[in-house]
Amino acid sequence: MNLNVLKSFVCGAVLTLAAAGSLNAVEPEVMLKTSVDEVLAIAYDGQTATTPLSQRVRPLLEKNFNFEAITRRAIGPGWRQFTPEQQARTVALFTDVVIRSYADRFEIGERPGITYAKSVAPDPKRPALRELPTTIDYAGKKYSVLYRLEQAGDSWRIYDVIIEGVSMIANWRAQLDPIYQKSGAAGVIAALEKNLSQTPAK
Amino acid sequence: MKPNIPFFALVACITATAAFAQKTPSQPDPAVVDEMDEYAVVQISDPFEPVNRAIFGFNDGLYDYVFRPVSKGYTTVVPKPARHGIRNFFDNIKFPIRFVNSALQGKFKRAGLETGKFAVNTVAGLGGFIRVSDDVPALAQIPREDTGQTFGVWGIGKGPYLVLPVFGPGTARDTVGFVGDYFLNPLNWNLRENIEWYTWEVETGVTVVNVVNTIPDLLASYDAPRKDAIDPYLAVRNAYVQYREAAVKQ
Repeated sequence: MNLNVLKSFVCGAVLTLAAAGSLNAVEPEVMLKTSVDEVLAIAYDGQTATTPLSQRVRPLLEKNFNFEAITRRAIGPGWRQFTPEQQARTVALFTDVVIRSYADRFEIGERPGITYAKSVAPDPKRPALRELPTTIDYAGKKYSVLYRLEQAGDSWRIYDVIIEGVSMIANWRAQLDPIYQKSGAAGVIAALEKNLSQTPAK
Repeated sequence: MKPNIPFFALVACITATAAFAQKTPSQPDPAVVDEMDEYAVVQISDPFEPVNRAIFGFNDGLYDYVFRPVSKGYTTVVPKPARHGIRNFFDNIKFPIRFVNSALQGKFKRAGLETGKFAVNTVAGLGGFIRVSDDVPALAQIPREDTGQTFGVWGIGKGPYLVLPVFGPGTARDTVGFVGDYFLNPLNWNLRENIEWYTWEVETGVTVVNVVNTIPDLLASYDAPRKDAIDPYLAVRNAYVQYREAAVKQ
């Protein structure tokens, strides 16, 4: 077997495996719709819950959001200066902050209607990223909400939510960056701890 | 009826905005930046930050102690369908703002769609109270245009960030744009001189209903970035600038 034949064989095998993998992969639209439906089912179950919504939706959000990627991007390049312990602590705290913030978006009342468009790859050089536009119909108004997802094995995980053009990560980064510049990783951790202690979860 | 837009006001708008003109910092190329730096902090000119923060604090108090109780009372007394109908009516009336600015940006198809939306809602939607256009796919989601966005499309920079008493966050460009929107709003077209029954009592009533009906929406959009924020001032400032930049690009 000469080298070219071997190369062809290896390439063919890789492509076949990749195709088999993609056959089993969940489409981003399916993943997002399923996860949003699951969250809405909890948020609007009509029951008077004794536990806060943030706690009830937490397992679903932990499954569908990539909190490590969210935290990394919200801190920016300074993330490399965090020790592994500081990184772990920051991810844990920021996960709590994001889950509380996400849960706070839901208000008692009418259930929002959501329409999903087709996902697009925003950058051909990074095929593992997708952007999925949705429209939320709530209280007589329509809101544009775009989800950014990245591939995680056979499925997808959310790493940013952009509501009416406002990126969640960019907004957190704008708040955390001055703290990092002034007080470093310890300052960021202290600010997140203070934030979580001040505002009770819904 | 012709809109009473003094020419000097338009010239003043453009001149003042041009005075604040600055190049918006270019965004890094996402293909070459590191993943951790793809959300590079947008530089916002905020030379009046101490004053802005003071006004931000004043607005917080105003919203909490005046607007919130008014909003709560209003939403308790006026049923939701009525509030939505009033919102639709005043939104429909502002058609010239969207039409003129779509045209000034060269978006003539969008200007045409705005005209269709206005016609449909005015005729079939009982003067605009019912947004019938939502049932027409082409008219359901037309991006809204205003004078501040037009200045942005023309390449005029945002200028310094400003927090205005009562009105809240803005930039120099959007504040000047707000003046343009004021003159394009038919409610400001000297209606009392042109319509016999439009007395000052009617005008006052219309203004009060319009303002009070806007308060619940204003509070909702103000609260969204502020709630749970580590630094509410920075959160609102960043959210405002992101929102307006996205609107200009649309």
